Amino acid sequence: MHEMSIATGMLQGVLKAAAEHGATRVEEVEVELGAMRLIVPEALEMAWEVLVEGTPAAGSRLKMTEVPIRAKCRECGRTYEAEVGSFACPTCGQADVEIVAGDDIILKSVICRTGEEAPEP
Amino acid sequence: MKINVVRSVLDASDALAAENRRRMDEARLLCVNLLSAPGSGKTTLLEKSLPALGEGIRAGVLVGDLQTTRDAERLAGAAAQVTQINTGRGCHLSPAQVAQGLSGLDLADLDYLFIENVGNMVCPAAFDLGEHRRAVLLSVPEGDDKVAKYPTLFQKADVILLTKVDLVGVLDYRFDRVRDDLAKVNTAAPVIRCSPKTGDGVAEWVAWLREQRAAMPR
Repeated sequence: MHEMSIATGMLQGVLKAAAEHGATRVEEVEVELGAMRLIVPEALEMAWEVLVEGTPAAGSRLKMTEVPIRAKCRECGRTYEAEVGSFACPTCGQADVEIVAGDDIILKSVICRTGEEAPEP
Repeated sequence: MKINVVRSVLDASDALAAENRRRMDEARLLCVNLLSAPGSGKTTLLEKSLPALGEGIRAGVLVGDLQTTRDAERLAGAAAQVTQINTGRGCHLSPAQVAQGLSGLDLADLDYLFIENVGNMVCPAAFDLGEHRRAVLLSVPEGDDKVAKYPTLFQKADVILLTKVDLVGVLDYRFDRVRDDLAKVNTAAPVIRCSPKTGDGVAEWVAWLREQRAAMPR
């Protein structure tokens, strides 16, 4: 259940972005989940629902995309797509890798409304 | 209105971890984060290995658990300084909790700091606490299939300790299965077979720690 910590970090970023743009209401949050981080989307949604209560992001939707893992072999330098649990290099067979993608959680965008805008129908 | 943000959600957490690392670099101590399931022997390993680090070598421990100060009490004899962090409902230590823990320690008086993370094979792996090295423990009773089941934990390990090896033979456990799974997950980390209870392998772990500390920039 580290989804709660992740959701807390997301909310900080979302509220900051919304405040900077004078938004009063957050409608949708787009987030990229690196596969290495083992985030359970349903658990993140549940944590989000609880955390946003009473904030301008209350009732907002989460748009989640999983980012596949890319590994770089420290032996031969090849970069390739890897599955969780199967990190070995297809060229040299070593599993001494640097994870170059799919190991982060990125807040991509926030769709929100300012006080003057009419609410969505 | 759509606001493009493109910022890592972990930025704040990683910044705190970086600050922890800076404080420990300044104190010239080596910080090792110990990760494993509950009951794999993290506390016993520390109890047995800290006195073996050498005369005059001072080690501190930050112990994370949901409840109780039992581990801190157990370590009080072996470590120069111990702080228990109770996470309440938290399934992993956060860099903010470690920062607080560091403030309660006299870092200048330590050569090593061990962070005994909350026993859990998933969540702690996702958070940098500011450690210099990660040690992952896997005990024989947990089974020889756990590397394949929790690969992200093992992928990020700098050293892997197979603990309670005195139980091989009593339990159906094969080292070759662990080795085969590690071949797909992490071939860089040294694997140390040990039993802190009998003392087997503890010297090898202590030698690894000394090597890592010696390799730190002065």
